[in-house]
Amino acid sequence: VTQTPRVSGSGAHWTVTDPARLATAIRLRAVRMVAPQGFGYLGQALSSAEQVAALFAVMRPGSDRLVCSPGHYVIGIFAAAAELGLMDEDAARTYGQNGSPVEAIGTERSPVADYVCGSLGQGLSAAAGFALSDRLKNKDRRTFAIVSDGELEEGQVWEAAMFAAHHRLAQLTVLLDANNSQVDGPVDTITTIEPIAAKWEAFGWDAVDVDGHDVGVVIKALTDAAHGDKPSVLINRTSTTHGLQCLPPDADGHFIKLPPDLAARAEAELLARLEGRDA
Amino acid sequence: MPEPAALTPLRLPPYPTVLKPYGESLVDLARQRDDIVCLSGDLTRQCEADLFAGAFPERFIGAGMAEANMMGIAGALARDGHIPFVHTFGVFATRRPLDQIINAIAFPRLKVRIMGFMPGVSSPGGPSHQAIDDVALMRALPGMTVLDVADAVEVRQVAAAIVDVDGPVYVRLKRGEIPVMFGDGHKLRLDRADVLTRGGDVALFASGMMLAPAVEAARLLKTAGVSVSLVNVPVIKPLDTATVTDVARAARVVVTAENHSIVGGLGTAVAEVLAEAGLGRPLRRTGLRDTFAEGARTGPYLFGKYGLSTQSVVDAAWTALGRRERPPVAEVALADPGEYSPV
Repeated sequence: VTQTPRVSGSGAHWTVTDPARLATAIRLRAVRMVAPQGFGYLGQALSSAEQVAALFAVMRPGSDRLVCSPGHYVIGIFAAAAELGLMDEDAARTYGQNGSPVEAIGTERSPVADYVCGSLGQGLSAAAGFALSDRLKNKDRRTFAIVSDGELEEGQVWEAAMFAAHHRLAQLTVLLDANNSQVDGPVDTITTIEPIAAKWEAFGWDAVDVDGHDVGVVIKALTDAAHGDKPSVLINRTSTTHGLQCLPPDADGHFIKLPPDLAARAEAELLARLEGRDA
Repeated sequence: MPEPAALTPLRLPPYPTVLKPYGESLVDLARQRDDIVCLSGDLTRQCEADLFAGAFPERFIGAGMAEANMMGIAGALARDGHIPFVHTFGVFATRRPLDQIINAIAFPRLKVRIMGFMPGVSSPGGPSHQAIDDVALMRALPGMTVLDVADAVEVRQVAAAIVDVDGPVYVRLKRGEIPVMFGDGHKLRLDRADVLTRGGDVALFASGMMLAPAVEAARLLKTAGVSVSLVNVPVIKPLDTATVTDVARAARVVVTAENHSIVGGLGTAVAEVLAEAGLGRPLRRTGLRDTFAEGARTGPYLFGKYGLSTQSVVDAAWTALGRRERPPVAEVALADPGEYSPV
């Protein structure tokens, strides 16, 4: 794990040839990472799989930075990194195990991403700080931040949003995973966060609302976001059960239970899709 | 010195466990007290507040993931005569909204009850989810009462015990299966620590989840000819300084055990009492040794790795006594599902 480069670090190399396939591979690897424990943050990987795949398709290895604000989402990044050869397979297999540095809720010490926050609502400040640093140092690189919709309930996100817009941090792009899921239930039953795009626009951001499971759309939006003179946010509409039909409809998106029989069915379903037996 | 109140009712591990003793007791209390309101920061079921939400939906406030705002709301509710019980994990209850707790709750000495679940390394969720400093943070606030209760018998009594405290209260509560250690007659008292056994060699003070390994350590030490005064300290502030002083004076060495950093919690509080009383007893503090822990699969793994095991407590007493031979070896009692044993 100590050898695993961070995406912006020298020594980071990868190529994405088929982003849609990468998204399916992320789901498969996430299932395999969660299965030994029988439960875990699989829903986060399922809702963000296309966003993570799109990120790796767009990010320039060894240059652009990645911040993962909700540490529970780091599973999807690990899955992508293992699939792309950026992270050792054996290390990925230790995900969440006792004594493993590949912790289930990401931390400061987690490999691959440049910065992972475990305590929710703090990542956008860090991403704004990185983007500000690049401005101060005249560096041509982008900073991408994964943020979840539940995090919008935390005040710090909006402090960071105002700061980033005020400083015109145009190289900062947020992928907001709008999966409408938090611990107590659907986000919209806890706090009304809509209209999300209008809020960010009011704070001085460019905002687009997209289907977060259409990887081509996400890639295009990420690419377009490089050209404005404001920071950008992609509001990716997603589901915590997307791409895995065998999950029960009442699966708890924050912490999905995956007993052995369900894990086996999930693995078979995703393998079939990867091998083209299920278009 | 008062006589030991609860010498015999303690059981041996593995302990039976119960679910949601706090949540049930809060509902019972709220049936009698319509001034109680319940707030939760997106961890309602995890903090057993789902029972309250079901019983009294009109007095339940789902505050979402917005702890700073939740504390500000709770302060205002308390100003208007409500008694808010605020629920989230201990980390999120104390770190992020610290300034709000200080200004909106502690300084005006309002009757807000902050219930911090999943203390110390009982969470395998890594440093962002492990409250290893919550007691230190809350203990530093003027007028804050701080509790770390040990078992289901105490947990069931805690809401009623604190509801009328004249000022803010912070309580640490274990999440999930709660061991039953005391007998039914055990009373949680805010003004007194419980002397559970008497011995002249070691004064052992334990709080919260460390009571279970402390009981085991005391038993093991006794078999090795070392006598222990074991004291359960559910209230860390205001500390029962009379009992701490009396028990420590009667012993050769002092050991503390807490599921928390050794900086700022029970061990520090006991050290302050010993120093101010002029008692020159060697002191060993067991707890996290000024380190963050880590994410893992299980909490018990972390209790072992970070010095919160029965063996750690035994070793602390052993070295404090200056014993050179090998200390007695602790064996972990196997617990079936639904049972609890200390590591």
